[in-house]
Amino acid sequence: MSTLPVVFSAFQTRKMDLLSNKWIINLIFCLFFIGVSCNSVENKIYVHLNYTIPCVRLLNATHQIGCQSSLSGDVGVLHVLESEANLDWVLKTGPNPPYMVILDSTLFTRSIMMKLKTGSSRVAGVVVVAPSSNPAEGFSPHTTCPNENSGVYSESYDPALAHCNVTVWNPLGNGLSYEEYDFPMFSLKDDNDTQAIKQCYYNHNHVVNGSSPQYPLCAMQLYSHMSAVTDTATCMRRNGINFSLNPEIVCDPLGDFNVLASTRPLNYTDKGHKMGESVVIAAARLDSRSFFFDIAPGAESAASGFVTLLAAAHALRNATQEAQPNRNILYAFFQGETFDYIGSSRLVYDMENKQFPLDLDNVHSVVEIGQVGLHGESKLWVHTDPVSRRNSSVNEEVEKLIRNLNSSALNLNFSLQEPSFSQPLPPSSLQRFLRARPIPGVVIQNHNSAFTNKYYESMYDNAEYLNMSYPPNLTPEEQLEYVTDAAKALTEAATIVARALYTQAGGSDPIQLQNINVDSQMVTQMLYGFLVKSNNSWFQQMVPSDFAIHLRERPTNFYVGVTQQHSEPTLLVQYLLANLTGTTVNITQDNCQNQREGEDDKESKHIYSYMWVQGAAPPNSTERVAFCVRSTVRLSKALSPAFDLEEYTSKDYSTWTESRWKSIKGRIFLVASHELEMLTLGVGVAVLIASLMLTYIISSKADILFSSGREPTAATY
Amino acid sequence: MNLERLPNEEKLSLCRKYYLVTLAFCQIFLFISPGGFAFLPFLWLVNVVWFFREAFLKPAYTEQLQIKAYVKRSALGLLLWVAVLTTWITIYQHFRAEWGEVGDYLSFTIPLGIP
Repeated sequence: MSTLPVVFSAFQTRKMDLLSNKWIINLIFCLFFIGVSCNSVENKIYVHLNYTIPCVRLLNATHQIGCQSSLSGDVGVLHVLESEANLDWVLKTGPNPPYMVILDSTLFTRSIMMKLKTGSSRVAGVVVVAPSSNPAEGFSPHTTCPNENSGVYSESYDPALAHCNVTVWNPLGNGLSYEEYDFPMFSLKDDNDTQAIKQCYYNHNHVVNGSSPQYPLCAMQLYSHMSAVTDTATCMRRNGINFSLNPEIVCDPLGDFNVLASTRPLNYTDKGHKMGESVVIAAARLDSRSFFFDIAPGAESAASGFVTLLAAAHALRNATQEAQPNRNILYAFFQGETFDYIGSSRLVYDMENKQFPLDLDNVHSVVEIGQVGLHGESKLWVHTDPVSRRNSSVNEEVEKLIRNLNSSALNLNFSLQEPSFSQPLPPSSLQRFLRARPIPGVVIQNHNSAFTNKYYESMYDNAEYLNMSYPPNLTPEEQLEYVTDAAKALTEAATIVARALYTQAGGSDPIQLQNINVDSQMVTQMLYGFLVKSNNSWFQQMVPSDFAIHLRERPTNFYVGVTQQHSEPTLLVQYLLANLTGTTVNITQDNCQNQREGEDDKESKHIYSYMWVQGAAPPNSTERVAFCVRSTVRLSKALSPAFDLEEYTSKDYSTWTESRWKSIKGRIFLVASHELEMLTLGVGVAVLIASLMLTYIISSKADILFSSGREPTAATY
Repeated sequence: MNLERLPNEEKLSLCRKYYLVTLAFCQIFLFISPGGFAFLPFLWLVNVVWFFREAFLKPAYTEQLQIKAYVKRSALGLLLWVAVLTTWITIYQHFRAEWGEVGDYLSFTIPLGIP
């Protein structure tokens, strides 16, 4: 009795062995095929685009701007636009809508884009081919009056000066960045891939002498579906809904951090008004933007200003440490100024609400450095606010400041002039300070009335535009050290600013004043690092090792980005400012990284900040000698107060948010005609029905068809 | 479950149970939660479909009159529900975008990228 189960189980296990052996052999067989030949049908149909830069959706209190595609991508037949008259083919006469329009940069104009926008039922998307050199006539997708409603000039301040009534600051602006498009728009570089795409068009889609093109046609599909819609209030509300089945964040506020440093240390735990402290704020802006996402070279609109201020801060280091002037100088680099003054509005808000170690009463004056890139001339303009100058005490301070600036420029080959007529301030962070109270201040710019920057907030505002030209055949190291004309001009400007700041802060020693000189070598290294390549040996020395791997082989991107992500320029300016205004201290790495000078030091971290930087390798070794830099550099949060106060329809503060998206990609393939697709589907359905019917007929007559073989065997008995 | 094998009293009790349970739940949930009671009218649909042959197509037996009554009442309830749900769904789908905040708070899933 008991042997039966044993035999049975033995029999079972032998069967199991056989079965599992079979499975193993099958599996190995399949893997063999997979490993050897990988013939993906998808790769034979679709060619994926490698380098895609989309236009994304941004929202504010009242509008949404930017582009949107459908969830499963927009498919359109390729069409390379030859001229504006050729738009007729796309919008009216072409037989195969919707079309994917490929524009050369010369055709990327407001009139063509507006026509494409109105005919968007026949337009599946637009691809703009970015040229390799800047267009000569200038291009600015920004509005003509930047930050019109968030500055100080409103109906209540002075209606005659509001809405750029006196001077239109950006006359070349065509406002394309601030329109809403319901098709995707991508940007491609002018390289071999784009040539292949155009070749596909010429082979399949091109019209010859009025005949319509034959199927199959070359088509492109673009995916850039944006999750947020309508305006900031709607998308922030949808972010916060808890009881829906799939809670999802659809948008994020724009913002980052401001970089602040002072010549005399401030105690950051002691917030609110500081008795007896009088501060001169030296401000510059850090950010820029362009039509497409994450491209913002910002050479003249951002880099020229903050590089000048960084150089001036370095030149003032010795003068302000040896013989401290009576007033403190606060160097402020604001982020997010392009989008309705995110950084400066936050600083003013913090000062008003005792969230910052200083108060607006502590602010003596403001010197702001705007766009100071020079293209040959040696002249800068000093802009002031006419309305606050109606107050005689403010006017007196402003005139003193301008006199300081002029006397600093005397010894150099430079002239500083005021605009000849009463003109409001250009878009600048000073306007947000003036919104709070009348403070004496000036903004230094390179233009008298309208901007001279032909590429304001566009992808062409790059090193080429600033005349940073290097002689050919230089290695990257040699290019880093070569002093360009742009660097020489900015050196002069920075020296003037540094000396004027010293005098404005109350420094009166003429020998110290003469010794304030800006090093043009450093200016050219900074320009190279921010506008040509951030991964260079000079930057590598001054950053901590965990940031050094993030340095890139291309220019810095100055787009402010969403709050959660630290943008590269903020961190770079923070490390640079620390090295340029701070001192080396001889403490261990452990103490340095814990923000203390010794084991028991609990006070230093409120006043100073310590950074353990990589340093350079000495000439005869490869190991870097790291050291600790002590400075007064701090980051202060640059998030618009509208998000802390949850006033998403605020008219006073910036409400810009950026939508989230799932995937951004594009691909090219050939499409067949609609009739062929229907025919294929029809044949397939017919085959299905025919096979079903055949199966039914055979199964119902099965006894007749399959039983005839049995009769002979029964007959033998 | 094959209805053929059940005695007539059990068929009647089943039909009555399905009808009454749905009625009770609908009345309770009408006042408690706006949630899943939209699915309970399916029990009425089950009642109608399952007992249709028993009620109208079989030769008469004692319990058939009562079964017929329950089936008719279930069908009426079902029609009413279908009408109410269709009207509500049409209104909601058409006007949700315009209702803004109210529309968002009424929704379980909000589509991305469209108003």
